[in-house]
Amino acid sequence: MPKQMSRLLIAGSRDQMVPVVAELYRHNLFHIEDYVDSGAEGYEGFKIGTPLSGASEKSADLIKIRVITNAVSISADDVDTKSSCSMDELQTKIERELPPLEREVEELTGRRSKLEAREKELQQKIVELTPFADIPVDLNLYHGYKRFTSIAGYLSREIVLHVPHEMHISKKEGKNFIVIVYPTERRIEVEKTLQDAGFQSIPIPHDSGSARCSMEFYDGEIAALKNEILEINTKLEDLKKNHASFLVACEELLRAEVDQTEAPLRFATTKQTFVAEGWVPTDRVATVTNSLIHAAEGKIFVTVVPTDLEHDSVPVEYNNPDFAKPTQVLMDVYSRPRYTEVDPTLMISIVFPLFFGLILGDVGYGLVLLILAYGLRRFLKGEEGRQLLDVLRNASISSIFFGIIFSEFLGFPIPGWNPVLYSRHLMSEHGGHGPNIPELMVLSIWIGVAHITLGRVLGIYNHAKQDHGHHRTLAVMANFGWLAVMWGILVAIWSTAAVPLMPVLTGLPALATVPPVGFGLNVGHAISLVLILAGITFIARESVLEVIELPTIVSHVLSYARIVAVGLSSVAIAMVVNFMSITMFIEPQLENLSVVGVIIILVGIVVFVVGHALNTALGILGGGLHSIRLHYVEFFTKFYKGGGKKYVPFGMNRRFTEE
Amino acid sequence: MAAELAVAATDLASVQASQLGMKALGAGIAVGLTGIGTGVAEMGIGSAAVGAVAENKDMFGLALLFTVIPETIVIFGLVVALLLLFV
Repeated sequence: MPKQMSRLLIAGSRDQMVPVVAELYRHNLFHIEDYVDSGAEGYEGFKIGTPLSGASEKSADLIKIRVITNAVSISADDVDTKSSCSMDELQTKIERELPPLEREVEELTGRRSKLEAREKELQQKIVELTPFADIPVDLNLYHGYKRFTSIAGYLSREIVLHVPHEMHISKKEGKNFIVIVYPTERRIEVEKTLQDAGFQSIPIPHDSGSARCSMEFYDGEIAALKNEILEINTKLEDLKKNHASFLVACEELLRAEVDQTEAPLRFATTKQTFVAEGWVPTDRVATVTNSLIHAAEGKIFVTVVPTDLEHDSVPVEYNNPDFAKPTQVLMDVYSRPRYTEVDPTLMISIVFPLFFGLILGDVGYGLVLLILAYGLRRFLKGEEGRQLLDVLRNASISSIFFGIIFSEFLGFPIPGWNPVLYSRHLMSEHGGHGPNIPELMVLSIWIGVAHITLGRVLGIYNHAKQDHGHHRTLAVMANFGWLAVMWGILVAIWSTAAVPLMPVLTGLPALATVPPVGFGLNVGHAISLVLILAGITFIARESVLEVIELPTIVSHVLSYARIVAVGLSSVAIAMVVNFMSITMFIEPQLENLSVVGVIIILVGIVVFVVGHALNTALGILGGGLHSIRLHYVEFFTKFYKGGGKKYVPFGMNRRFTEE
Repeated sequence: MAAELAVAATDLASVQASQLGMKALGAGIAVGLTGIGTGVAEMGIGSAAVGAVAENKDMFGLALLFTVIPETIVIFGLVVALLLLFV
């Protein structure tokens, strides 16, 4: 279940607002319920508050800081927390160092954008000049005539003009580029001829000298500009190096101050008083209340308002043991649980690595992923990234565990170690023992049946807790009905045929001693028929339309076969890679070494490395996506709704500053 | 008589071999056709998912999830193929 919350109401006189806000911010526990000016009962005459003094200056400062951090592209996640400095120290530092730093960054970025604009301009000019590169004439000579017109463009074929003219043609890539100067009075004739030849006109650049010379000149200028931009970038990089921790600390300090000065915008206020409502974890209510009363020297009223689960939208904070916390990221991807719902994070944190390990049960791949999970920590510094890596770490440990059980190392059997229970090695001559595919399939079906049963039981619990009256009974019965149909089908299968690893009920007494009367059916069939019919009745009583969903019972259970199927495909790829690299390339050459042989062995090693790298990537995708999908689609649809509001306490986790 | 027996034995061997080949063919068809089915289904979902992610990056998780939903089809094909080949 999510953490239990209590609704806290704080009322006090307006002059106590500053210490109260500061105290709330320090605790980082109070999820403010924004006051909406809708004339709610008991709030007549209240208005939304106004920001505390100094709000606009501080926001302006914050914007300045953000401009700088954007310009040098720093984010707090990239900076290690080395030393946090005290607020007063930082305050004086901000007054002293921030303005010159701001000026410098502004100047540098301003110059850089000017240079970049100029560079673009020159590049455009070069583009315009390129077609004229083979025309030897000074471009200046094409402009400034009264009686002559000059045009340039592309032609699809050559032409003959019966007008006095001067023409330059250059042929490139099958296109004719042409520049013509002709007397303006013969314009109509010229244009007609050109049009017939499919003429596409382009403007003649205003430039002096031959096009080729100009282009070379511009190229030189662009190179110079690029150098200058590079210089500015290194300067910015230096600034970033020298001031990164100062800048992120500033940002944090100012953000905290702006948050606090703007908090009253979320309170209800009158001329003399203010009222704030919000949520605090129930076990912290006493701490918060006492320290608020202390901060306001007793001139404040704090009370717990009873929670109304029907109408209040209670913010949801996870309440999980430490090892399950990383899995919360997988929950947030789907949807946060509602306040009254079972939080399945703990179950996922156990079952997800198990599924992952069953799919990618290989000691070698597990080790690679484990190294990856620790190695990527250096690059992923954000909270979510860390959590994902922790999930990957747990999954890879499980993968190593199942690798030992299946006796697999990069697709090879582990020498001297036979698979415990079932083997997944496809080629029996190497593993000694062929693959136990029927057993593995049935095992995965059992996992599916157990998982779905758990989901339905949780569904019964959720409905019993959330719903009321007649609807509650129907919903609980419907969930029970789904379970009954699923187990009914199972009993029918057991009574009909013997399946490995499943109970065999074919030996049960027949329904009638004379076979034609009993249709060859036994007591098991009768039980399953009762279960299925009762189940369908329960489902239909809640909603008749749900009955068309009945086939999903079979498809959802069978969907768990992916645990084996995807796993076997990854084993198969590993074996193919091993066969190609070792049996085909390396082994035959090792017998009599030659120069060519060494090269072929190297090729074999490349095939080995690339193949296994590819299979590792596929393993993460296959193992991760398919296990999480089994949770999202097959498991969650049985009980989980989600859509809870995230608990966002007023305050922050300070990393770079101290109180 | 002996010659007839030998012919029968080779006939049996060739029948068994061709049955094995049929199994392999069936397995290949099962995976191939379901693969095409999955591909067709994921085509539409995938393009819509990329569009949704371009609008809002938070959709990435859900988009990825929706995209892999038709994967079930090819998994069934793979299961059938495995059962054909190994059971």
